Amino acid sequence: MTLGEPRRWVGHALPRKEENRLLRGRGKFADDIKLRDMLYLRFIRSPYAHANILSIDVSAAEAVPGVICTLTGAEIVPLTQPFIEIGPDPFAKIKDYPLAVSKARYQGEPVVAVVATSPAIADDAAEVVQIEYEALDPLGDGEQALQDKSLLHEEAGTNRVWNGVFEYGDVDRAFKDAAYIVNIDRLHFHRFSSTPLENNVVIAEWNPKDERIYYSCNNSFPSFAIQFLAAHLNVHIDRIRVETSDIGGSFGIKITSYPQMAVCALASKKAGRPIKWVETRSEHMTSSAHGNERTFRDTRVALAKDGVITAITSRHIDDCGAYPRYEPLGCVIWSQVFPGVYRFKNARIDFMQAVTNKCPVGPNRGYSRMQHLWFLERVVDICAHELGIAPDEMRLRNYVRPEEFPYTTPNGCVYDSGNYPKMLQVAKDLIGWDEWKKKQAAARKEGRLLGIGIGTTLDSGTNNFGQSQIVNPGLPYSGNSQGANCKLDIYGEVVVAVGSCPQGQGHETTAAQVVADVLNIHPDLVTVRTGFDTERNVHTGFSGTYASQFAVSGLSAVHGAAQKLKAEMKRLAAFTLQTKEDDLEFSMGAQGPEVRARGNGKSINYWGLANLVNANTAALPPELYEVTLNCRYIWRAPFKVPDKQKKYGNLTLTYASQLHICVVEVDRETFIPRILDYGAVDDCGTVINPPIVEGQVYGATAHGIGAALMENCVYDAVGNMLTSTFSDYTPITAVNMPAVKYGHIETPSPHSYSGAKGMGEGGAAPIHTISAALQDALFASGIVIADSFNNADSLFRAMVAKEIGQAQKLVRVERRV
Amino acid sequence: MYPRAFHYHRAGSLKEAVAMLSQLGGEAKLLAGGQSLIPLMKLRFANPGHLIDLNFISGTSFIKEEDGRLRFGAMTRHAEIEDSSAAKKIPILHDCAAGIADVQVRNRGTIGGSLAEADPSGDWATVLMTLHTELHCLGNQGERTVPIEEFIKDAYTTALAHDELVREITVRKPSPNSGGAYLAFKRCAPVYPTASAAVQLTMEGETCREARIVLGCVGLTPIRAKQAESALRGAAVNEKSVSAAVEAARTASDPQPDMRGSAEYKHTLVGALVKRAIDVARRRALGEKVELSHIYA
Repeated sequence: MTLGEPRRWVGHALPRKEENRLLRGRGKFADDIKLRDMLYLRFIRSPYAHANILSIDVSAAEAVPGVICTLTGAEIVPLTQPFIEIGPDPFAKIKDYPLAVSKARYQGEPVVAVVATSPAIADDAAEVVQIEYEALDPLGDGEQALQDKSLLHEEAGTNRVWNGVFEYGDVDRAFKDAAYIVNIDRLHFHRFSSTPLENNVVIAEWNPKDERIYYSCNNSFPSFAIQFLAAHLNVHIDRIRVETSDIGGSFGIKITSYPQMAVCALASKKAGRPIKWVETRSEHMTSSAHGNERTFRDTRVALAKDGVITAITSRHIDDCGAYPRYEPLGCVIWSQVFPGVYRFKNARIDFMQAVTNKCPVGPNRGYSRMQHLWFLERVVDICAHELGIAPDEMRLRNYVRPEEFPYTTPNGCVYDSGNYPKMLQVAKDLIGWDEWKKKQAAARKEGRLLGIGIGTTLDSGTNNFGQSQIVNPGLPYSGNSQGANCKLDIYGEVVVAVGSCPQGQGHETTAAQVVADVLNIHPDLVTVRTGFDTERNVHTGFSGTYASQFAVSGLSAVHGAAQKLKAEMKRLAAFTLQTKEDDLEFSMGAQGPEVRARGNGKSINYWGLANLVNANTAALPPELYEVTLNCRYIWRAPFKVPDKQKKYGNLTLTYASQLHICVVEVDRETFIPRILDYGAVDDCGTVINPPIVEGQVYGATAHGIGAALMENCVYDAVGNMLTSTFSDYTPITAVNMPAVKYGHIETPSPHSYSGAKGMGEGGAAPIHTISAALQDALFASGIVIADSFNNADSLFRAMVAKEIGQAQKLVRVERRV
Repeated sequence: MYPRAFHYHRAGSLKEAVAMLSQLGGEAKLLAGGQSLIPLMKLRFANPGHLIDLNFISGTSFIKEEDGRLRFGAMTRHAEIEDSSAAKKIPILHDCAAGIADVQVRNRGTIGGSLAEADPSGDWATVLMTLHTELHCLGNQGERTVPIEEFIKDAYTTALAHDELVREITVRKPSPNSGGAYLAFKRCAPVYPTASAAVQLTMEGETCREARIVLGCVGLTPIRAKQAESALRGAAVNEKSVSAAVEAARTASDPQPDMRGSAEYKHTLVGALVKRAIDVARRRALGEKVELSHIYA
């Protein structure tokens, strides 16, 4: 250890190992890869949201010079099984194929694939494919779809994907005893997406010699994808190899790229050559995946005289688009944060999910929890404003208290640690709360519309997959796991491999920090094999990068593997150095990292240890033959299977929390909302690498501000997606970002070896915070913020046209005191 | 995202480009900065059979100040105008150039290309209509001069014949007691404005002698709000005259609903932008240095 180096690397602001490659433009992304004789695939997509496919004529396309083949839905049906449905019957009866078979169910659904020797030729050929459609009326809204007047999937006999009641405590009693009951007619969480810099890319090669399928792609949950692909393609799962390299963002959206992966494999089989498909931005916007849209109906909130919420009942209707794909997992995943950050014990949520003629949803950052957390934050703010309680005071009265951790929620989830009142104080200090309150009072006197809003959220990480049994008791999944391998190579190099596929989260760096601490070496001496590869044999059934968990599942696996390696190194070193294992120390020697005997001063470096196992084996006694210096470790989360009937159990291992405060002003003439100040406080337990955490917080904050004010997936009445380009969707850019003030507290998690909690999704805190601030600005004008998306136009329609958000129409308060 | 196959021609002079246009007919398109045409070709919304590249012709990109006029070569990039000290003397020109899209677009896009494209949401036509602007167009029959008001005919339609191109744009410098401002609301930098307002006022003390008010993105072409101009012309610029002008501007606007906003909202927004642009134009006319940038979401 040289001067100036930290004693421990975990917690240190180590610059990212990935930076050198990525910032110089030397990363390797899926589209950088070319295979010999590779062909290019183009999808022809449905222009209709809902239509029968009457005929398809590919003859003109196949006649274009350079076109190798085409593929249609009818052609692949006899070759494949419909995709697995996660949910139960009757919706499991639907037939989901990666190309529309007799009916298209959303605008942008793939109908035909064209394969050619160049992307430009594939585009030319796509223009001459003749498809005759018979347009059908589309279902654009989840509530409308639930009436089942027309069906998307006739096989299911309903548009209802899933329905379940989550009831805990004594709801009726709480309402009987309530001092106030606040009724909220309708709240709506809008549909938006993640727009990663890199779109979906698939390279597939179906090798006719050994019937193996090779994928190079940027799917972010490959161990999930291969389970779907193997069953669909009728091949053994071990015959599918998936490799990922650098990935330019996923945010969960790339989890559900398996249908496109399936088409590429089938096209490769037909063409006998490897296939590459690179998604265009418009394709990404219309047909990769969107986030879940959710409507909250007939909400009733019981409150005590002091504003303490005692019960909530509500009906939630989730719109999952045309095919459930990852759904209906979202129908239970929201309940990981059932009461949010609040103490109420009694609640009944009737949750249902419907299909509509829109792009299928995927687990978009903050997946399913953010919709619910937004709902709870709206409930808290609307109750506070209606009852005349300050929103910060309202929260303090209802937050789970610091001394109550670990806190068991009404549905059995265990919040590991946290301190919400302290976060509120830190956030207030960041923006200068008292000053802003004074400025707000002065501004209001001038007639200005200035609001201050708080958003408190949770980022639950490391799922208990046993919760899938709540949506479908027949599923064979529970718990969670991650694999890692740590070895000394033949020449003594420390090499770590993990089953994750990072998309900017810095896994190479944090994994190296963990190993460096175990072996007491510099992280530069640790090589991290990044990216996913099924043939590396480190993945488990849950491997991938999603759902805020690497700091817990990934690094626990790395830590376990490194400790296993260290134990083997000790056995070897104790033999070689003729000493006891507890006499050994790991340190840096003149010839690299070494193991040294304190007693006799003898040492052996890593090359020496590796050599004993690999190339100097005659010197090794047989009792040490089991030492391989190649250690695989599977980390398993300490979960139990939840009670399926009661919908009760611990659904996630760690609960990172975020508290944001925002000051916003709505211009009285232009109705443009402007953020005047923004504070973001994060608590993800023990921080492993501060700049990586801070970067994730900025990213999640930008994403959330974009979602709150700019980004909305809009469909017209006939199901055309109106926001299929960046000109219309306008993802947030630097000019739209306020200067974000970052703060953090650390409440170490008792549930992870390091005290760290998974983070990165960020609970969509800005959406809740901006909704709260806008309502604070406009409540005196009789407006409640009832939608998660608000821009100048919608604020104009609320304030001038009085079309939306009118409190008198949406909210009714029953006062019993 | 690949255009249909096309023939590429590199013109050596503007005259040669005109000759090529004549010869190749309706399938030929000129390539200036390419910031509209190339994306449209990649989306296959535009499918020209021939592309005539103007980027390698020397002497087509310049900013010259002479005889009380500013002369812009048609191939002058927005960024060159943004950085030009001559153009900064007419603040409304700088407002416009500096606010077009993002740096990448400004580095490639040209003033002539933008005017010839005549996108209803383009910035230059809106701004140049507040000034005395002429376009010098070169065709087979020689050159002719067209005032900007006559150049823009309709959405995506100009006075240019098929075998004609814009060679130069000249703008008469306003008098020292004249000032202008161009203000837009844009959701983010790369997109077209939701609405924009260009105002040029000539002041004598607090009295407005001459006014030009042009509205952008709220009609098929930039709209000169003549009633709004009348409300200010000869009047003191005060709350009363300004609100009359704002009201008249709102009435003159004819916006379409799209993802940028509802028609009703754009009506309201364009009024608010006119009000602010009047304020800045007035102050600039009175000699005050006022920094102005667009409003972003």
